[in-house]
Amino acid sequence: MPTFVYMTRCDGCGHCVDICPSDIMHIDKTYRRAFNIEPNMCWECYSCVKACPQNAIDVRGYADFAPLGHSVRVLREPEKGTISWKVKFRNGHEKDFVSPIRTTDWGSIPSPAELPPPSEEDFKSQILAHEPDALNIKGSLPVLARDRLKKGVI
Amino acid sequence: MFTSNPFAEISASIAPSVMQAYIVLMIVLVAAGTIFDILHKKSAQYFRANMQKSKAKGAKVSGGEILSIAIKTAVVDVAASGEFCNMRRRIAHLLGMYGFIFFALSTAMMIFCYPTRDIATPAIWPQLWWLGAAMICVGGYWFWFFIRVDVAAEGGSPFRLMKADLFILSLLGSATFALLWGYLQAKGHAWTMIAFWLHVVFTTILFGSVPWSKFAHMFFKPAAAFEKRLSKANGTRANLPAPADVPEKFSKGSHMPRNY
Amino acid sequence: MGLFSRKKTHFVDADVLVIGGGMAGCGATYEARHWGRDLKIVCVEKANIERSGAVAQGLYAINCYMGMQWDENQPEDHVRYARNDLMGLVREDLGYDIARHVDATVHKFEEWGLPIMRDPKTGRYQREGKWQIMIHGESYKPIVAEAARKAATEVYNRIMVTHLLMDTKKKKRVAGAVGFNVRTGDFYVFRAKAVIVAAGGASHIYKPRSVGEGMGRTWYAPWSSASAYALPIEVGAKMTQMENRIVLTRFKDGYGPVGAYFLHLKTYTQNAYGEEYESRWYENTKALVGDYVDRHPVPTCLRNHAFLEEVKAGRGPIRMVTKEAFQDPHKETVGW
Repeated sequence: MPTFVYMTRCDGCGHCVDICPSDIMHIDKTYRRAFNIEPNMCWECYSCVKACPQNAIDVRGYADFAPLGHSVRVLREPEKGTISWKVKFRNGHEKDFVSPIRTTDWGSIPSPAELPPPSEEDFKSQILAHEPDALNIKGSLPVLARDRLKKGVI
Repeated sequence: MFTSNPFAEISASIAPSVMQAYIVLMIVLVAAGTIFDILHKKSAQYFRANMQKSKAKGAKVSGGEILSIAIKTAVVDVAASGEFCNMRRRIAHLLGMYGFIFFALSTAMMIFCYPTRDIATPAIWPQLWWLGAAMICVGGYWFWFFIRVDVAAEGGSPFRLMKADLFILSLLGSATFALLWGYLQAKGHAWTMIAFWLHVVFTTILFGSVPWSKFAHMFFKPAAAFEKRLSKANGTRANLPAPADVPEKFSKGSHMPRNY
Repeated sequence: MGLFSRKKTHFVDADVLVIGGGMAGCGATYEARHWGRDLKIVCVEKANIERSGAVAQGLYAINCYMGMQWDENQPEDHVRYARNDLMGLVREDLGYDIARHVDATVHKFEEWGLPIMRDPKTGRYQREGKWQIMIHGESYKPIVAEAARKAATEVYNRIMVTHLLMDTKKKKRVAGAVGFNVRTGDFYVFRAKAVIVAAGGASHIYKPRSVGEGMGRTWYAPWSSASAYALPIEVGAKMTQMENRIVLTRFKDGYGPVGAYFLHLKTYTQNAYGEEYESRWYENTKALVGDYVDRHPVPTCLRNHAFLEEVKAGRGPIRMVTKEAFQDPHKETVGW
């Protein structure tokens, strides 16, 4: 289900060009509007669809075999921390979904450099960042012992 | 320099009737080009079909509401370039749009109402003409060198030319050479007429290239904006989901998705 | 190329160079900053790290979580599971190492703001299988990318790394990498004290039967061009675990790997005649591999073997029966 652009809605701002992981959303040389240059390499990941401030990008069925007449559209509202989907079936049946996408403020993740530095001993151990605290277990990081694995297959 | 009518200055060598005929020709070219564009791209047909589809599926919208949508479209989307989400693009577009309106209007006024040196031109018209051309240049060059998306997101050269540039470049050429012409004329420079004729060439390209440039966006963009507002009013929203009604932030990881 | 554009060569020096800005690359960048507070850490990505790699579109589950804090599983349980599923062809030390660290990573994701579903009764993470936990993962990648951007000194987007550079003085040491900007064509030379290859796997080595627009219908990202293999192999690195290939099919109108549908939507497969076929190949498979076929869960490759034999026997195509899957609205909630 590759993406396509409603030409009348697009204002050629290039958000989709910037975000597309497949590098297939580009600006048309005649109309300066976005378009999908290579629909067969589209993963329908919806990155461009969600990034479009004009909601000008939609996703269609495959030209060769998908049934037409359905619609799967999305509205991502990062400021609310939500994503809303509307799924329309060919028979007119509709489904709406709203899900959270993030529980903290955007930009609130600290750089590891702002957190307490690892000690001399940490450098000599096998732990990774924030361990063993982040493991939430009593004791330390599990270590592979010679006798622990060979107890049968399951 | 800013108060004298540049067209009256050259009325001795170019008859006012010729200039007036040229303006009429440009208007005819734009009208014909737009009609050709609408027929060729079937844009009017597209909007009518979309509107009917939206009407058939959506809730009824009263005449009063339609009027208010039309007013909102005219004020917010057309007069204030509300369709641009990016503020830089919006400002550049407003500069270009109002600059073009001032420039075109003052040109027509000076050529039709004050064509010769015998009739005194009120200072407002030449001032508007200079201001308009300068606004086009500020907004246009800003757009051309910094905002154009093939430069910003696609990493292209600011000098790369393609068909989509026909409109902006002919507009910029027209305004730039108008400014240059006005300046050279005030100085009494020998190259005055070269700048004038280049201004005419770019203006002719601008108005004559409507079917090939995005000049016709002036006619379909308001239609698209109106349609967008109408689809929100009647609930169809082009199949988009409504904004989520969660005023509070989602708390830590305990929420299941909500199904209707 | 345009009249005025001139290709340039850029030189970038770094202490740590991370090639690839997907989940692994973002993680490596973050980890590098934790241990190297004053280092210059550079992350290079061929798309935009905000949405790149195989998690660009988000995920609905984290497929590996031990739950050591509630003693749900221990790392050695995971090794046993993997050893069985891959019929012994597994580097157990690597599997163990991933398993013992994964919980800390998941807890970090939750702290950063990834919504993880919880079981309303127990308060633990909602499981959908023995190893999987359910998340609202639409912004999985943007969240992790934010952590990486905070951690990195510089992030270079839209640069495709094509080759690793070897040290001329010290043998067998990788000293950097070269690549080009996919938009401008500018050439980039990265020189680094340490290089981490966190690039992607390979799509389209085995192509889907779909043609034309259906080509993008691979479960794995179609833009994954096997850099993770090509870069190290070209400089003579020893590759491990290359016996195992995962070729996940996606089926018509479906949006996950087939396994997800089996697992929690309780779908099942039939041959072209509407018959159950896996048991038909039981003896055949048993003769081939012995008691692996009796294990639970049956190794994935053996289930696929039955599938392939059935197609070869002329009773294909194999159909996934989904009509019973969505009867329960709760399943829809969990599955989607």
